[in-house]
This record gives sequence, C-alpha cells and structure tokens, in this order.
Amino acid sequence: MHDVVERIGGLLAKLQSPDFYQREEAVKELGSYTQDEAVAGLVLALEDQDLGIRELAADHLAKIGGHTTSQLLIRFLANEDIGTRNLASEILVRIGSAAVPALLRNIDTDDEDVRKFIVDVLGLIGDERAAEAISNKLWDENANVVCSAAEALGEIGSADSIKPLLAVCEKDNDARLQAIEALGKIGDSSVLTHLIDYLEVDDPMVRFAVFEAIGYIGQVESITSLVPYLDSPDNSIAEAALGAIITISNKNRGRADYDLPLDKFTDFLFDGIKSRDEEITDFTLDRLTHWYGSDVVEGLLDVIEHVDDERLKQIQESLGEVGHTAAVLVLKKLASASKTVKQKLLDILRLMIDDQIADQLIPYVGDEDPEVRQRVAHLLGISGWSGAVPKLIQMTEDPNGHVRTAAYAALGWLSTEDHVDNILKGLDDKYPDVREAAVGALVIIGGTRVVAKFTADLHHDDVVRQRLAVTALGWLGETSVIKPLTEAINHPDAGVRKSAIVSLSRMGTQIDTEPIGLALTDENSAVRKAAISALVTLKGSEAVNDIRPCLDDQDLWVRYHCITCIGEMGVADHAAYLLPYLEDDSDIIRIAAAKTMAVLGDEQAVPALSDLMREKNKDLVEAASMAISKIKGDK
Amino acid sequence: MEIAVRECGSVMVLDLSGRLDLASGSALKEEVKKLFGQNRTYVHMNMAEVEFINSSGLGSLVSIMKEVRLLKGRFTLSNLASYVQEIFEITQLSHIFEVFPTEDEALASFQTVSAS
Repeated sequence: MHDVVERIGGLLAKLQSPDFYQREEAVKELGSYTQDEAVAGLVLALEDQDLGIRELAADHLAKIGGHTTSQLLIRFLANEDIGTRNLASEILVRIGSAAVPALLRNIDTDDEDVRKFIVDVLGLIGDERAAEAISNKLWDENANVVCSAAEALGEIGSADSIKPLLAVCEKDNDARLQAIEALGKIGDSSVLTHLIDYLEVDDPMVRFAVFEAIGYIGQVESITSLVPYLDSPDNSIAEAALGAIITISNKNRGRADYDLPLDKFTDFLFDGIKSRDEEITDFTLDRLTHWYGSDVVEGLLDVIEHVDDERLKQIQESLGEVGHTAAVLVLKKLASASKTVKQKLLDILRLMIDDQIADQLIPYVGDEDPEVRQRVAHLLGISGWSGAVPKLIQMTEDPNGHVRTAAYAALGWLSTEDHVDNILKGLDDKYPDVREAAVGALVIIGGTRVVAKFTADLHHDDVVRQRLAVTALGWLGETSVIKPLTEAINHPDAGVRKSAIVSLSRMGTQIDTEPIGLALTDENSAVRKAAISALVTLKGSEAVNDIRPCLDDQDLWVRYHCITCIGEMGVADHAAYLLPYLEDDSDIIRIAAAKTMAVLGDEQAVPALSDLMREKNKDLVEAASMAISKIKGDK
Repeated sequence: MEIAVRECGSVMVLDLSGRLDLASGSALKEEVKKLFGQNRTYVHMNMAEVEFINSSGLGSLVSIMKEVRLLKGRFTLSNLASYVQEIFEITQLSHIFEVFPTEDEALASFQTVSAS
C-alpha cells in the first residue's frame, strides 16, 4: 500500500513536468488507480495546458466515477475557465446517477453559476431522485437557475413536476417558455387545457413553445384547438400549428384524420420533405391519396430526388391515382430533369402510361443515358401502343445490351407476325439476355414463321442454338411444334432429345408415344429418365408395361427413377413387378423398392422387407420398417 | 378449359382450369369481353388449375391486358403453376402483368387502390 501511495506521489510530481509525454504517461497510469490521491491528480490534470491530456484525464475520471470524483469535479464547476467548467460538467453527466448524491448536496451553494451548472447536469443525468430538489430551484432568486430548473424537469420527465411547472407558468414570465417546453416533454395530457390557454398570449416565442408542447403530448383530441390557428394571418403561427398537428398525426400513425387546408401549406410541406424532415415527409406522403392538385403534383415531383425508395413508391402510387394530369406534369419535368431524376420520373410514368404518354416518350429513345433508354423501351412496351413498334425495332440496334433486351421484350408484347424478322435478329445477339428476350418475344408472337425458324435452328451449327430452339418450340406449345419436337427425339444432341421429350409430355394431347417409347433405350441416361416420366404423364398407369424393362436398366438412377414412377402410379397390382428389387445388390434400389412397397402395400413383400430389417444400412432398415408398418396397418 | 366467373366486391374473379391455348384463349377473351360490356373492368384470374399454357394462350392474356389498359381498368393474376411462371419469366410478361402468389393478395391489392 505504501508503495502505491509513493508511486502515485511520483506520478503527481510528473504531472508538473514541462514534457507532454511525461504528463501523458502520468495521467494514463493514474487512471489505473482508484485511490483518492490518484483521482485528485486526474482532476488537477483537467487544467493541463494541453487539450489531449485534459480529455484523457476526463475519460479516466468518467470511468472511475464515485463520490470523491464527483465531489472534486463539482468544485471545478466554479472554475474561472469556462472550458474547464464545461469539461467538469460533461464528466459528471458521464458519471451519471453515481454523481447525483454529491450534486444534490451542493445544489444550494451560494454561487448562482454553480447552482445553475448543478441543475443543468442533474437534468442531463435525468435521475428522478433529483426532481424534488430541482423543483425547489424553480423559486430560486436567480432567473437563470429557474430557467435551468424548468428545462431539467422536462428532461427528467417526472409527473410530480407538473404542478410546480404549471405554477411557474402562472407566476414567472421569464421561465414560462422553459416550463411549457418541459410540460410538453413530460407529455401528460392533463396539462393540455392549461397549455391551450397560453396560445392566446402575446409573446410569440411562448406560443411557439405551446404548439410544440401540444404536438409533443400527441393527443388527437387537441387538434380541434389547433385547427383555427391554421388560418392565422401570421404564417409562422399557422405553420407552428400545422407542425403540432403533424407531430400528433405521426404519433397516432395517421389516425388524426382531420380535414385540413393543406393547399395553403404546400411550400412548407414540400420544403420540409426537401430538407429531409422525417415527420413532415411521413405526414405529407400519407395524406397524398386524398390531396391532389397540380401544385401538389409539382411539389411531389420536386421532391422525388430527396426521398428514399419506399417513399418514392408511395409518391409513384399516388401520382398513378391522379392519372393523366400528373403524367402531363411528369412529362414537362422530364424535359429538363437530371439523369437520376429522369429515371425516377420514368418509373412514375409506369402506372399511368397510355398511347398518348408513350408518344411523348419517343424523343427519349435517343437519350444519352442507357438506363433512361431502357426504361423508355419498357414503357413503350407496357403502353400497348402499336405505334411504338418502329421505334422499338430501332432500339434493338442500341449499343447497350440492356436497352436491346428491353426493346425485344417490349416487341413481344406489342408486335405481330409482321415483325418476326426484326426480332429473329436478336437470336444472334452476343449477349444471352438479349437472345432470351428475343426468344420470349417470339414465343408470345408465335405463328408458322416462328415455328419454322426454331425448327430450322434445331440443326443450327451452334449446339447452344439447337438447345434454345427445342426449348422455344416447347414454350410455343402449338400443335405445329409436335412434329419437329417428335423428330428431335432422334437429334444428335442428348440435351435436345431430352428437352423435346419433356416438352412433348407437357403438351399432353395428340402426342404419339411410340417415338418416346423408343427413347427408353437411348444411349443417354437423362434421356431415358425423361422418356419414363413422359410416358407416365401421357399414358398414366398404362405406361407400366412400356417402362418395366427400365427396371433392369444399366444405369442405377434410371432403375431408381423407374421404381419411383411405378410407385407414383399407385396401382397395387404393380407391386409384384417390384418384389425382386427388394433383393437387389444396390442399397439404393432396395430402399426405393421398400419405399414404393409402403405406397402400394403388397403383403407378399413382408418376408423380403423383414429380411431388410436385419441390414446394417439404417436408411434401408427405416424404409423397410415403414413399409411393414404401412402394409400391416392397411391390413 | 373451364372458366368459372364469380364476383368479389368490385372485382370479377375468373377461375381457370385446364389448358390455355388457341381455342380456350379465344373463349377466355370472349368471357372477359362480356364483363367489359357490363362495365366490369377490374378482373382477376386465378390460374391455380391451369396446367398448360402455350403461345396462343399467352397472346390472349396480352390481348386482355391491352383492353384493360384502354378501359383504365385493372387485371391481375395469381397462383401461377411453376411451368406457367417459367414462361412468364422468359417472355418477361411478369413485368407487365400484376402477378400475385395468392388470390387473397391480389384482391387485397384492389381494395388498397379502391380505398385510396
């Protein structure tokens, strides 16, 4: 212990060193002790000439906290240097509740400045234990202390302070403003009638404070008292009243549904959105659905660059409701808009696009921004206006791939067989997205030329194009594709063969199953599996005789697939075909057979299933067990 | 294809089942035309039972959509089977149709618009 005291003594001496690093080292080490001597040294360091050392000492003191620290810091509240006083206050606030007893002990000090500091600090700490002592300061002889006391009571927020604060409002003109603000922060609705009375006082600052306090309290019923002030010839009063209504409305999640003369406040509201005032933005956008008018639309269009995506969507939907009037204003603004705004304006047009608007968008087909051109292509497409087709065909030559993609998609929605040649070019595009968009467009348009093109493409030099062609024929799904798809079952590429079979099975009607049956012996296992599925889809349980040979397929997974498909037919008589596979060499096949037996429920399977129960493979045992339970349960 | 029409407030709901192709697409267009004739331009199609759709079927839906736009009505779809969904993606029709996962969600969207 003696050593520590000696060490701290050495550190205190070091604090007087002219060398910054010596002093800094001393403060750092003092921060590691909790002895009163160390705390005193750190407090002394608050007056160091160097800001870095002062802040370091402050950090340590805030961490150490406690009675001694607080008591010593309170002495600094009387320091002649304002910087030191502020630093001491700040540390006391950081110490928080632990500093409250020391602060309360000194609250009646003779020094009025210190009294004010103590009250301020107690307010910022916000500990309710201080409320009563601070309330007493509402009657302090010094006006600054009284004002601070009112503010501090607002920060603490105790309902016990309401009565003294109301008394201050009545008797003390100097502190009325702070008292009203404090009442607002406490948020108790019982004071509303008192506050409303103060709306008629002459002092505009008090009136503003009352509006704010009423808003803060957030009672929907008080809106009635605020509404008359919306007609005040003094704009600042009217806006303060609206501000309070906005706060109340937002606190009540928009339930404050009063008919308000908002047209008068468009500048105020839209300026609020532009300055990113969250309360005003929420309120304004929430009320858009029943508040139209060209000035409102223009106001909204002016703020679209200041709102987030969610609010932009809200604006978009509201303007979509306004319809053509809004569209005209959007188009007007589009002409002089920046890149980003232009994109947002085009997104807004999406909900109101029609022939006339689409026509007005034609000049933007050549816009310098590809994102604008892409949006324009999309809008022209969804407009349903066939007059846009020539421009869209032009856009399929755009240097930007995304624009070409949008143009081809739009052509699919708008064009007819007459434009097929233009769209077919897209199949040769260097980007897959563009090629897919062209295929999509051709699938919608359909017709003999499209079918002929994809049929020819089945023998394209590029196997990727062959596969795209067979897929496209499947999507076209017309009777005319049956023949080329059936022929494609014998295509040299296995991917094409498989895709042709899948597409034919989906078409369902008028399909000749014989070529698909031949594919059961295809050299490629994926094709054989596709053929099994297709036959089951097309012929149902009658397919069992076609696919049974696949139970002995050379490929394990074809056998597995065949067993599963027979199971899915759900015909009990088919169980007999699967009995031998309960004794297959492969666990996978035996598991599939056991699971199928659980579905089909053939009692003849029980002995073989019982044998499986003695196997080591847990999955096999589980499948067998389930099958036995099912069969016996059924019985 | 079977087409059942029912009324849900301001929305006419069409339950489609079967295959949407050339023949059924024409029948569907006729059915919707009748609704337009009665000033019913809020239309929803529940596609849960549509097992197949081809180029002609898509064309009929596009055609209905164009009509609805002209009449300033609204046309939604729901419950697309995965294969139908796939075709909607490849043709990018999912970008022009309002497609909802369920009929309830689609009908709720009509209510939102009506309320506003």
